[in-house]
Amino acid sequence: MKKSGNALQRKPVRIRYIVQAAFFVLVAVTATVSALNEKGIIIPFFKGVSLHGICPFGGVVSFYQLFTIGTLTKKVHESSVVLAVIGLLSALLMGPVICGWICPFGTFQQWLSGIGKRLFGRKYNTFVPRKLDRVLRFLRYGVLAWVLYMTAITGKLIFQDYDPYYALFNFWTGDVAVTGYIALALVILLSLFVERPFCKYACPFGALLGIFNLFRIFGIRRNAPTCISCKACNRACPMNIDVMAGKAVKDHQCITCFECTSEAACPVPATVEMTALPAITKDHEREGGAK
Amino acid sequence: MKLTIRTTAAAVIVLFAGGILLASALGFWVTESTKEPAKIKTGEFAGMPNPSDIRGSYTWNDISKSFGIDVGLLMQAFGVKDASTKVNTLEEAVKSLSLPPGVEIGTDAVRLFVALYTGLPHTPEESTVLPYTAAEILLREGKADKALIEAAAARAVKPAGTTPAAEPAASAVPAATGTANTAPAPAPAPAASTTKTKTETVTAPAAAAPAATTPQTATATQPAATTTTETHVEKPTGTVVGKTTFGELKQWGVSVEDIKAVLGGKIGPDPMAIKDFATQNELSFSEIKTKLQELVDKAKK
Repeated sequence: MKKSGNALQRKPVRIRYIVQAAFFVLVAVTATVSALNEKGIIIPFFKGVSLHGICPFGGVVSFYQLFTIGTLTKKVHESSVVLAVIGLLSALLMGPVICGWICPFGTFQQWLSGIGKRLFGRKYNTFVPRKLDRVLRFLRYGVLAWVLYMTAITGKLIFQDYDPYYALFNFWTGDVAVTGYIALALVILLSLFVERPFCKYACPFGALLGIFNLFRIFGIRRNAPTCISCKACNRACPMNIDVMAGKAVKDHQCITCFECTSEAACPVPATVEMTALPAITKDHEREGGAK
Repeated sequence: MKLTIRTTAAAVIVLFAGGILLASALGFWVTESTKEPAKIKTGEFAGMPNPSDIRGSYTWNDISKSFGIDVGLLMQAFGVKDASTKVNTLEEAVKSLSLPPGVEIGTDAVRLFVALYTGLPHTPEESTVLPYTAAEILLREGKADKALIEAAAARAVKPAGTTPAAEPAASAVPAATGTANTAPAPAPAPAASTTKTKTETVTAPAAAAPAATTPQTATATQPAATTTTETHVEKPTGTVVGKTTFGELKQWGVSVEDIKAVLGGKIGPDPMAIKDFATQNELSFSEIKTKLQELVDKAKK
């Protein structure tokens, strides 16, 4: 019964994969058409928008300039600011859903993880020593601080030259810096050993959204009385979060992917779920930590 | 209250699609810059479109429409075949020109051409040159001060294998003449000569002088630089141009106090272009530029 139940339960998580694939295609087509337009090639029926125009992080790095001077950082458009605001609101509500559901670069790494899993089986995503891993996970806050500071003082999109996401969708345009290509190659290589290495260690936007895990309205909760401590949730988590460690996942790296929940990995119904969190339940939660 | 994968999927889509729709309805969903250049705010040309605001994303049609220049003329000037292409594709279009290092024909060349053609003000980048075809049109039809046009024509480049168009146009003018408005920067080495050719720029005390004559240009200055045959183009680093920001000035070693002294006790935020600051505060960019350049040169020493 459990087996067939699991098979049924695993189905809903595929919805996320469909949403991810849809956003990936949308961004890829939009950025490609825009790049072609830049080269003077017009594609009928498609309106290209530059990657900067649909990048919420572009909006985030523009906030300082927007509030102090009233203008946007070069290459950033109002649409980026709109997406940044939506992204932050969605994070307040459900955590970094952008990372787990929308970000095409997260999706790209997730697809690469499929190769890694085939190569290394259960050993995949366990190569980085735990102590080192814990430290490295805070690296992205350093990246975030550096990007925000540098963008604020220069008024330019300083991260573009190091951004593997930008390199992925523009690698053929000749508009990518060597450092961007190196970053992309590094992420591709690391993704064969570690799941979502860029998200874990270097993504500045993920770092910002991750902070919302500490106080998001809807969060991942574990119902301890029904938990059978099988650790299926821990094994399923692409971000190596120790879901079993507490009643609620407040780890700054959670990407709201639902892989640990009773709709996916957890074999017991209604044991790991996304529900309204502490402020509403008033439970005293123990914070879940990274493995 | 519980959120399942399905409800979360729905929430994500509704949030983003709804947010974008709402932003569109409110007029906030703008994914590209407008194709109309900003208007000049002050001075003689107040209310006119600003050539300095031409961007790489503009098409030749956009420029034609904004500045009232025949699109065929623009295309002829820059050797473009399709008026619907963007200006930032110019580099492809001028590939046949053999440009010396540190010299480029890009968006700023279009700004310069438009400025010289219409007589509107623009301060070009140091590295900007015009193609020979554009110079020919300007010599024939340009509305800016003749000396400015001839100075720009002197630096124009011919197709690969030939020398720049200096001789025909330059006979009457010094190698390079800086002006407050539509002046090209110091002349680079001739394109066709050897790769070892070097140029050296000598910066003169460029005191601004009131414009004497033409209605097209507000002011004119002393020659900003003279060129010798063996020189080297000084790169934008350390050179105050329209895009230079306050942050860059500070990085080049100019103190906040010195900047304030030049700007009448005020200073803009680091990311702000000095030119924008000058426009906002109704200051003459040409005068500020000269004084700031002196400070930069002083700091270099």
